[in-house]
Amino acid sequence: MSKKQLIRWGGWSITLLTILGIGVTLLPYFWMVSSSLKTGQEVFELPIRWIPRDLQWVNFPAALSRGSFGIYFANSGIVSVLVTAANVLFCSLAGYGLAKFRFPLRDFCFRTILCTLMLPLEIVLVPTFLVVQQLGMVNSLTGIIVPLAVDAFGIFLMRQYIRDLPDSLIEAARLDGCSEFGIFWRIILPNCKPALGALALLSFRDSWDQFLWPFIIASNDALKTFPLGLAQMEGIDSTAYHEIMALAVIGMIPMAILFLFFQRAFVRGIALSGLKE
Amino acid sequence: MQSVGPGTLASERRWAVWPGRMSIRSRLRWAGFFFVLPALLHLLIFKFYPLLEAFRLSFYRYDLMSPPVFTGLANYQALWDNPLFHQSFWVSVKYMLGVSVPEWFLALGLALLLNRAMPGRSVIRLAYFFPIAMSQIVVAMVWKFMYHPHGLVNTLLEVFGVGRINWLSTEETALASLIAIGIWRGIPLFGVIYLAGLQSIPKDYYEAAMMDGAGPVRRFIHITIPLLLPTILFVMVISLLSAVKVFLNPLVMTGGGPNGTTKVLPYYIYQTGFAYFRMGEAAAASMVLFVLVFVLTLILLRLLRQGDVK
Repeated sequence: MSKKQLIRWGGWSITLLTILGIGVTLLPYFWMVSSSLKTGQEVFELPIRWIPRDLQWVNFPAALSRGSFGIYFANSGIVSVLVTAANVLFCSLAGYGLAKFRFPLRDFCFRTILCTLMLPLEIVLVPTFLVVQQLGMVNSLTGIIVPLAVDAFGIFLMRQYIRDLPDSLIEAARLDGCSEFGIFWRIILPNCKPALGALALLSFRDSWDQFLWPFIIASNDALKTFPLGLAQMEGIDSTAYHEIMALAVIGMIPMAILFLFFQRAFVRGIALSGLKE
Repeated sequence: MQSVGPGTLASERRWAVWPGRMSIRSRLRWAGFFFVLPALLHLLIFKFYPLLEAFRLSFYRYDLMSPPVFTGLANYQALWDNPLFHQSFWVSVKYMLGVSVPEWFLALGLALLLNRAMPGRSVIRLAYFFPIAMSQIVVAMVWKFMYHPHGLVNTLLEVFGVGRINWLSTEETALASLIAIGIWRGIPLFGVIYLAGLQSIPKDYYEAAMMDGAGPVRRFIHITIPLLLPTILFVMVISLLSAVKVFLNPLVMTGGGPNGTTKVLPYYIYQTGFAYFRMGEAAAASMVLFVLVFVLTLILLRLLRQGDVK
């Protein structure tokens, strides 16, 4: 075998390996979808039937009737949409301020903001709860939303993107007599749509994903978000795997749709965050 | 609009004293500050104040009902004397390192694979990146099912002659099982970041090196690694910070057990504060967790700065 052939075969086998790796990555999800369409007995049947004999669509309504999942879903939607909107607004404001202005202590402000990345909710759990309690927001959706409204990571992302926009855009608008907020609203925001899209997606994903905080704040069933509802149902009947998987599939759908439609923005957002200072 | 108001006013006031260009400069200064202000205030209230409050509270005994009582270092002493806390601390350290260290290498491997030219590359990338969008709770439910004694993990391992193991309720395997999920979940995420780093390396470098007769291994060591160093260190910091936050998986998959072998510090803090209502002790445990995160991040950031100098 010549060297050239060897290289080509090597290349093909690496490609094959890459494709096999997809199996490891996606197999659990495939098993989840497959199990959500089986009967309770069929779930553990061997050999595994990847495509169930009769698709048990009835699992979905049956699983949903196990709790007020309509309410949980709506709560998750409200929390995610509002948290995302707040993050997009406040992070782009702050990102613009940090990227395009000079003011005393600006770099100190920026570093202070970045430091909060080291303070996840898990660390400041007890005092954050006490703050929210003092504000009278325990056991309310507001109490879930407000502490999540700004994330330092979003500010970082917006700053990185806005910094690369040409100053001439801003100066031209300023000479035309545009107010500072007008420049932000009419010039900056339309010019950083890709970053805004990425930030919105990441922030929607994180808030849809949020577990610990609603878990602490919402003790009332009517305030539970979808992840809490799912965990609760699993806690009550952990043997109904076909129904738990059906709920997991339902929980996956909103994010799966968003990802498939906006995968470019998604990947770009994560990539943007990794680009060095 | 409100946030600009005071800024323009200030600039008008200045206008009277300093004619000419000064006004625009001070207008800019105030505007910039007011743009940052809302986010800054939020972070002060919901991040820095709680940190100080956690520090203060760690010297008090507080159960949410009766007023806090100053007890000095009693909470820290209680933690120090509590073998369960020591256990939690080391479980957290093991989890952090167990998840993030393999991620650093595996995610880089994935990024290198996906950066090659190959047929169907965009579809393959899509398949790998899809799990990034998945919720933790979905992942937790699926893996709890996977790790069931009759679940997929045991079924697949049986092919290799491994007996059935109850992964999540055996002391030796519970933490490792959670670590495996963490790694599996982190690789695509950090793979994307590495991939962006790889793509930002100019192609000319590789071409020049190839002209000089450098093979793939030498090109990797002398071009890829040095130019990727900032990304590598960034991934190190972010992966540690995200691993230290794990809470949902121990909560719904193992309940911190068996025998506390998966009770990470966030779980310990949650339990102490919100199940036993020992807020002061929970705050003291939070401070320990904070110091752990702070020290690790500081070490890595120092490395990052050195990497930049090179």
